[in-house]
Amino acid sequence: MIETFLIIASGLLWLLMVALAGAGHWLAGLYVLLVLLLVYAILGTSHKGRFDLRLVLFPTGVWLLSWAAAFGLAEYFARAYDSGVPAFTIFGFHPSFAAIVILFWIFPTLLMGFGFEAVKDRWLSQKQWDDFLAGVHEASPDKQDDEAP
Amino acid sequence: MSIGVKYLILASSFAVLAISFLIGFWARRKVTSPEAFIGGAKIFGPLTVGLATMAAVGSAFAVVGVPGLVFSTGNAILLFMFAAPAFVFGYLVIGKKVRALAEIGSVASLGDLSDLRFNGHRGIKLLLSIMLFIGAAMYLSAQVEACARLFGNLFDWNELVIAFVIFAILIGYTVLSGEIGGVLTQAFQGLVIVVAGFIFTASFFAVTGGFGPVLEVIANTDSGLDPSALTAWGSLPGAYSFAWILLPALGIMCQPQVLTRMTMLRTPRELPKLSLYAVITNMITGLMVLAIGYCAIYLVAAGKVAIDHPDTAVFKVADYLGISAQLFVYPAVLAAALSTSSLFLSLAGTIVSRDLPGSLGINITPVRQVTVSRIAMLLMGLAAIGFAALSGDMVAILGTYGFGTLAAATFPIFVIGLLWRGASSRGVMLGMLTALATTLGGVGIEILKRFNLSEFAWPGEVPWYVFVLAASVTVTIAASLLDRAWSDDQLDRRVRMALDL
Repeated sequence: MIETFLIIASGLLWLLMVALAGAGHWLAGLYVLLVLLLVYAILGTSHKGRFDLRLVLFPTGVWLLSWAAAFGLAEYFARAYDSGVPAFTIFGFHPSFAAIVILFWIFPTLLMGFGFEAVKDRWLSQKQWDDFLAGVHEASPDKQDDEAP
Repeated sequence: MSIGVKYLILASSFAVLAISFLIGFWARRKVTSPEAFIGGAKIFGPLTVGLATMAAVGSAFAVVGVPGLVFSTGNAILLFMFAAPAFVFGYLVIGKKVRALAEIGSVASLGDLSDLRFNGHRGIKLLLSIMLFIGAAMYLSAQVEACARLFGNLFDWNELVIAFVIFAILIGYTVLSGEIGGVLTQAFQGLVIVVAGFIFTASFFAVTGGFGPVLEVIANTDSGLDPSALTAWGSLPGAYSFAWILLPALGIMCQPQVLTRMTMLRTPRELPKLSLYAVITNMITGLMVLAIGYCAIYLVAAGKVAIDHPDTAVFKVADYLGISAQLFVYPAVLAAALSTSSLFLSLAGTIVSRDLPGSLGINITPVRQVTVSRIAMLLMGLAAIGFAALSGDMVAILGTYGFGTLAAATFPIFVIGLLWRGASSRGVMLGMLTALATTLGGVGIEILKRFNLSEFAWPGEVPWYVFVLAASVTVTIAASLLDRAWSDDQLDRRVRMALDL
């Protein structure tokens, strides 16, 4: 039931996101995209109908917050220095693009890469995988044929 | 550039080809069955698959197309390259479910995965095959264009001749060893790209002194380059920034080059390591294309280099940097183009020899599948050459067309289908029909516009493939909800276990 609700929400978010972008509000569309990614993240943690919100919060939640900050700062500095020549630079980049380099690219990429490895057992423990393999073996047609009288 | 240097560069580029060919030849002994030939082997570790995935996703789109667009329109396209967290997100969200399905039955293609999830539904498999074929042709056309630019820059050879020679060699090593050789050669080609990335980035700092001087030289010279291109969103309309963030964020996880590699991993518990290798190597590639694009802007603004077509930016910059950069950059471009091309040629082979006949109820013997697969690769090569010639778009734009089409083809099946048990066969099929119809419409309109036969403008200047994706997803969900009201797909118990994992 919750899965269906989330999927319906995702469909509505798709429509809202594209409608906003189509109407010229593409930055607002990007923020809707973050909510959509959050919905898929929640659905992706589903294990036997239960969601693992801790797995959603880290690393995915932190990543999405980082992207939200990147979009906001990128837009702020792009508007502040719209002639293209800023009063200052960060690592030599236009501050608008520096927000993207740091908060859209480097930090969240490393966070997601190492964060996923850190939550590996929570995401899929060896026991869960072994249980799945045993279950598949039990339910396979060959096995059932063997056990038939 | 002297003739001697040109032939030295040619030799280094063909060395990549020759090593790829030898790897493909060596990998033949690992092909023990037709299934293994077309991708059914779960034998690889995370480093090999990570490098291969990065190389296949990166492609010439990244190495040639992205620097060209950075040079001509600024930073917006870098948003696509920098969306590397989406790799990890994809593995987190659907990775274990995809890999779990590979334990239930023989999975050698995306069609096999679709069969498992949707009880062998022929309509879905047919539409998936057609959409993948169209998307693969578009993506391959970007590789054709990039190779043509590479050799055109060196020798002014005819574009068609170059494309035919490259594809002949590619088909040669792909048909020798199939997907096993494909993964190994892609891993090698990924390594070449990473090495070139380090060398090029170091060269960039040596020439410009850092990123700051690029901004300064644009601001202080009358080069005609737009300083606002160096803000986050570049000089294109903001809708492009939107599309180029959305596309990788939601699309990477369902790209064939990512999905098929998940099923070839020894165990899903290695997916976190795989994602780490994929994103770190992707970051190095991202740094390289950023450096190339900025170097091109710097050199043109400083009046040191003239670039007549954005897709030649990478080569002009390498030529300026000298032989040490040239000997790595040209082979890296070739490696990037080859890695993606071999994957999509294999994909085309699998579609035509296995998935398409299966969807039409035609049974081809496994041994005959290999022969049909080879013919299909040839046809795909020709389709890609034709699309590149017809569209006339830049490498990066062709790449985004292919990326968007492939995402629209696979999202309903492999994202909605795996995350939601309620996704029905009929709902997904209707979603895919929508994707096919809107893709043909979108491409048709773009081609008409190219020949000045249409003045249609997409709302908000959002690229057409975003609408295609949205339409396919929402139709899939709506149709599945309506369908559920009066029928329910009976899932195999093992598939339910995989979706529950």
